[in-house]
Amino acid sequence: MKSLKDKYCIVGVGETEYSRNSGRTTRAMAVEAIRKAMVDAGLGPGDVDGMMSYQSGDSTPANWVASDLGLRLNFYMDVFGGGSSTEALVGLAMGAIETGMCNTVALFRSMNGYTEFRIGGTGARAAQPVRSLDLAQVPFGMRSAGQAFALTFMRHMYEYGTTSEQVAHVRVAHSKHASQNPKATQRERVTVQDVVGSRWIVKPLHLLDCCLETDNATCVIVTGAERARDMKARPVHILGVAGRVNKPRTDFHWAHGPITRVAGYYAKDIVFGQAGITPEDVDVTGSYDAFTFTTMLQLEEYGFCQKGEGGQYVSSGIIELGGTRPNNTSGGHLCEGYTHGMSMVIENVRQLRGTVDDYCPGAAKGEHTYDYAPGRCRQVKDAEITMNLGWAMPPTGSALIMRRG
Amino acid sequence: MPEPVQYRGMALLIPDNDSEWKEHFAHARQHRLMLRACNACGLLRYPPTHACPWCMELGWTWKEVSGRGTIYSYETVVHAIQPGFKDATPYVVVLVELDEQRGQPTPDEALRIIGNLLKADGSTFEDAKSVAIGKRVRVVFHDLAPHMALPQFALSDEAPTGRVWQLPE
Repeated sequence: MKSLKDKYCIVGVGETEYSRNSGRTTRAMAVEAIRKAMVDAGLGPGDVDGMMSYQSGDSTPANWVASDLGLRLNFYMDVFGGGSSTEALVGLAMGAIETGMCNTVALFRSMNGYTEFRIGGTGARAAQPVRSLDLAQVPFGMRSAGQAFALTFMRHMYEYGTTSEQVAHVRVAHSKHASQNPKATQRERVTVQDVVGSRWIVKPLHLLDCCLETDNATCVIVTGAERARDMKARPVHILGVAGRVNKPRTDFHWAHGPITRVAGYYAKDIVFGQAGITPEDVDVTGSYDAFTFTTMLQLEEYGFCQKGEGGQYVSSGIIELGGTRPNNTSGGHLCEGYTHGMSMVIENVRQLRGTVDDYCPGAAKGEHTYDYAPGRCRQVKDAEITMNLGWAMPPTGSALIMRRG
Repeated sequence: MPEPVQYRGMALLIPDNDSEWKEHFAHARQHRLMLRACNACGLLRYPPTHACPWCMELGWTWKEVSGRGTIYSYETVVHAIQPGFKDATPYVVVLVELDEQRGQPTPDEALRIIGNLLKADGSTFEDAKSVAIGKRVRVVFHDLAPHMALPQFALSDEAPTGRVWQLPE
């Protein structure tokens, strides 16, 4: 299998505040996130010459944002997409650099996901006319992501005996992680009973099985490994990437079962094949938590446990800080804030640098206590390899494996 | 271009050039559930697209199916997102596996269609408590306009196929 293993790095990461009231444009937020990532990498205005973003008509194009920062670009592209775009764009950035089109690419996602374009589907989204393929679902009261995915989740419970209580552990774990994260919007730890006792949204999803809606911008910067050596931050090497891999019949994936199978079934051989590692080698996962169930479905599909045993895996303690393979140590989309996935890549970059921004006074210098009591540390000791599992929907996903430099 | 069909606060748009959906919903208005069958390999498909997903043949013919099937999965919407569904909660969305072409062309493939679980009148939502995977259903049609009806599903009196399962609460 063709691989660019170790030839590219993520050298800078940045984000704005996670809030429900940004009070400004996606353009303003994108500028701040990109500038922070450039400062993080030690890059000046002449040093970034490529830019990519993803959006769904709810953001600002890359060439406007670049101009604000005085960046003259040799390459830019804005793609249509939400979750699973980050990992795919990392791969495309590597490709753009590999061809010689540019040298260093900033990737961003900027969204007023609470105050402008509600990701949950209310407001402007609910008022859109229904046409084309949407006619197969939306007239039946099936418009939001939760409504679109719940049939998959329900069938998993039927086929494998997965319980609400097992899956609730994903929220429990991520709330524990968020309690160590000053940026997180939901820092209170919750119990399994809190999750299954919260009100129903769309069965089998309770309120606390669902992620947040957030105003935020995020950025990661990709460049070649040789350039990365000269930069300020410890480089993080890219071992493998799979971008927007699909099941058959993505237009109507219900037709091609089992519907409990998700895109990772096809993505795992691509990404593990490039990286030359197995799930056992991964220290930290970032399995996209649009819902508690999405984290579970992907972890089992990528082989962190047997297919169908995801409920046992996520309720075993493995995915919590202090467990053998913590997931979404920032609190993720369930508890930190919703970013369409880029924040989970940022978190894993910081884990690999050893400089996670928790409550440890020396965190920026890599000094951590590894005390996982509330309000303390969230650094995983000696994290060497991380894996992000990006989710768009059951039949579409991406993956990214990174190692510390 | 026909006027959008107003239904539960939504504007359903089926322009004259909608070569996927226009005839499908017009057939539904005649209370017939019609799917496209490939002219080369004969396999039925849904949604009504312009190439056979198994052999890439472009030619197709409308074929009527029985509208009988089994609930393959479901969800119960308690918190409606669309304002026009607020008064219907809790309502059930079902994924129905039709009797025709089950397990073809590969064991995990089937004709599966999304609808609401309605009462036999074709417009009132069924009691959400009566839904279960494995229960038998039949198609009913909810007339919305002279050129359009929504295919929906109602519980049938046939014996269930396989295990009957409902989310434990």
